[in-house]
Amino acid sequence: MKLKIFFVIVIFFFSFGLSLFWGPSVINPFNLDETSREILLSIRAPRSVVALLMGMALGASGAVLQGILRNPLADPYVLGISSGASLAAALGILAGASVFGAVTVPLFAFAGAIATGAVVGMMGWNRGVIWPERLLLAGVGLSFLFSALLMLIMSISADEGLRRAILWIFGDLSMSDWTRVPYGLVLVAGGLAIPIVRARALNALVLGDEFAHSLGFSPGKERLLLFVSVGFLTAASVSLGGMIGFIGLLVPHIMRFMVGSDNRYLVPVSALSGGALLCFADLISKSILPPMELPAGIVTAIIGAPYFLFLLRRKNVLSL
Amino acid sequence: MHKPATLFLILLLFFCAIPSSSYGEASRRIISLAPNITEILFSLGLGDRIIGVTTFCDYPEEARKKPKVGGMWNPSLEAILNLKPDLVAVSTNGNHKEFEERLRSMGIKTYIFTARRLSELPRDLREAGQAFGAGQRAEVLAQEIEATLSRFKKPAPLRKKRVFFIVWPDPLVAAGPGTLIDDVLNLLGAENVAGKARVSYPKYSIEELLRQAPDIIVIGDMREGIQKMSEGLLKRLKSVPAVKNNKVFYIGDDLYRLGPRTPKGIEDLSRLLGDKP
Repeated sequence: MKLKIFFVIVIFFFSFGLSLFWGPSVINPFNLDETSREILLSIRAPRSVVALLMGMALGASGAVLQGILRNPLADPYVLGISSGASLAAALGILAGASVFGAVTVPLFAFAGAIATGAVVGMMGWNRGVIWPERLLLAGVGLSFLFSALLMLIMSISADEGLRRAILWIFGDLSMSDWTRVPYGLVLVAGGLAIPIVRARALNALVLGDEFAHSLGFSPGKERLLLFVSVGFLTAASVSLGGMIGFIGLLVPHIMRFMVGSDNRYLVPVSALSGGALLCFADLISKSILPPMELPAGIVTAIIGAPYFLFLLRRKNVLSL
Repeated sequence: MHKPATLFLILLLFFCAIPSSSYGEASRRIISLAPNITEILFSLGLGDRIIGVTTFCDYPEEARKKPKVGGMWNPSLEAILNLKPDLVAVSTNGNHKEFEERLRSMGIKTYIFTARRLSELPRDLREAGQAFGAGQRAEVLAQEIEATLSRFKKPAPLRKKRVFFIVWPDPLVAAGPGTLIDDVLNLLGAENVAGKARVSYPKYSIEELLRQAPDIIVIGDMREGIQKMSEGLLKRLKSVPAVKNNKVFYIGDDLYRLGPRTPKGIEDLSRLLGDKP
C-alpha cells in the first residue's frame, strides 16, 4: 500500500517536471536562453500548476461524490454545477464583461458554480438532511435545464465571442497565467482538507446511513459538509479551465482498483493522480501537432478510457 | 384524356427551363447565404433584388435591414421558402453542399460562388457578372482587384517580414494557411508565421509564438472589446520583437471576406507592414 501511494506521488511530480521541460520544444534547464526562460517561467509553469490543481479538484471531488451519493456513476459534472458554471461563463463572455479584467470569466464561472451548488443542495435538502437520490436527480434536472439554456444562447447569438465560449466549455488551459494560481490553490486546498479530515465519516457513509449512525456519525451533517467541499472543488476546477470530462468519473475508479476503497487513501490518491493525468494530457495536447493546440479533455479521455477498460476486464470488481 | 394535360405540363417545364440558362438575369428575388456574396451582389448593383441574407451579413449598411434567413451553416429552409426566392446564391466556402442540393431538389435555382483564394476572386466576379446580367460592373470590379494584385505584388525581399495575424486573442487563434489573410501576406512579400499550421484557423500555442518571435503582430479588430481582450495576451508576449518595437496593429474586418472590400484590406495591411505601394 505504501509503495503504491509512493508510486502515485512520484508520477505526480514526474508529470509536473516533464510538462515543464518537454513540450512543443524541449527546454534544457541547464542551458536557458532568454526566450526559453520566459517560456518556462511565465507560460509553462503556471499552466502546469493550473492543470495539476484542476485535475486534483476533479479527481478528489469525484471520489467524494461517489461516496456520499453511493453511486459509481456520480461525477462532479452530474450535479449540474459545471453546467451552471458554463452557462454563467458563456453569459459573461458574450456580454463582453471585463469588469475584473482577466479573471472576469473565471469569476463568472465560480459564481455560477456556487449558485448552482446551493440550488442543488436546497433541492436535495429535506427534513434537515441531504438525501442522495434527491440530490442526484435535482442535479441531473438542473444540468439539463442549464445545458438547454446554454444551447439556446448559442443558437440565437451570431457573435464571434462564441468561439471563445465553446473552447472554454470544452476545457482550455492555454490562457493560464499566475493570476489564476492563488485562488485556485486556496480553493483546492480548502476543498481537499474537508474530505481528508472527514475520511472516516465518508467511509461510514459508503457502508450505509444506519451503519454510519451506529459509528457515531450524523449522516445528514457529514453529507452536507462533504457536499460543500465538492461544490468548492468543482467550482474551482471549472473556473480554472472549463470542463474536462473523464477525470472526475473514472480516475477514482482506477484508484479503487489500485489502493482499495478506504477513503483515507482513496481521496488524496485520486487527487494526485487526477492532477498528474490532466497535466500529462495537457502536455500531449499542446505537443502533438505544434504549433496547434488540441483541447486537453480529448486527450484525457483517449489516454484514460482504454486503461480503465483494461482494468475493468482484468480485475472485474467494481465496488465503492 | 390525360394526354393534353401531360403535353401542357411538358411544354410548361420546357418554357420554365429556358430562362434558367441565362440564370440570374431574370432573377428578381435573390437570397444570399454568405456575407461576402452579399457584399459582391451589392457592389454589382443588385442590392434592391436581394430579399434575404444571413445573420452574418452586416455590410453594406443596407444589408442589415434585409430579412434574415439564419446563419451561414444553419440557414432556415422554411424562412427561405417563405420569401419565395427565384435564386439562392451560395458559396462553396462556408455553406453546406447538402443544403444547396436540398434547395435544388425543391425546385429553387441556385448560383454557386466557388472562389476560395485571392487569385480566384476576379474570375468568380466575372462569372457572377455574366450570370446576373451585371457584366460591366463586374468587369470594373475584377479589373480593380487585378490592378491591386499587380500593384502590390512584390518580389520576395531578402529578409521577409515575419507577420502573425491574430483572429482571436483569448484563446489565441491565428490566421493560418488557406485563408485570405495568408494569401495577402504572401502577396505582400511577408511571411505568415502561422502559415505552416495544419488548419486554417489554428488555436495557437503561446510558447511557440514566443519562439517564433514575429516582427509584426496584426490583430483583427472585428468586434468591440478585442483591444481590451488583447491586453493580457500582449503582456505575455512582451519579449516578442513585434511588441517590444511597438509593431502591434489593429485592422478592420476587410480581410475576412473575399469580396469587393478586399483591395482596401490589402492596402491597409500593406500600410501597416510599412511598405509604400
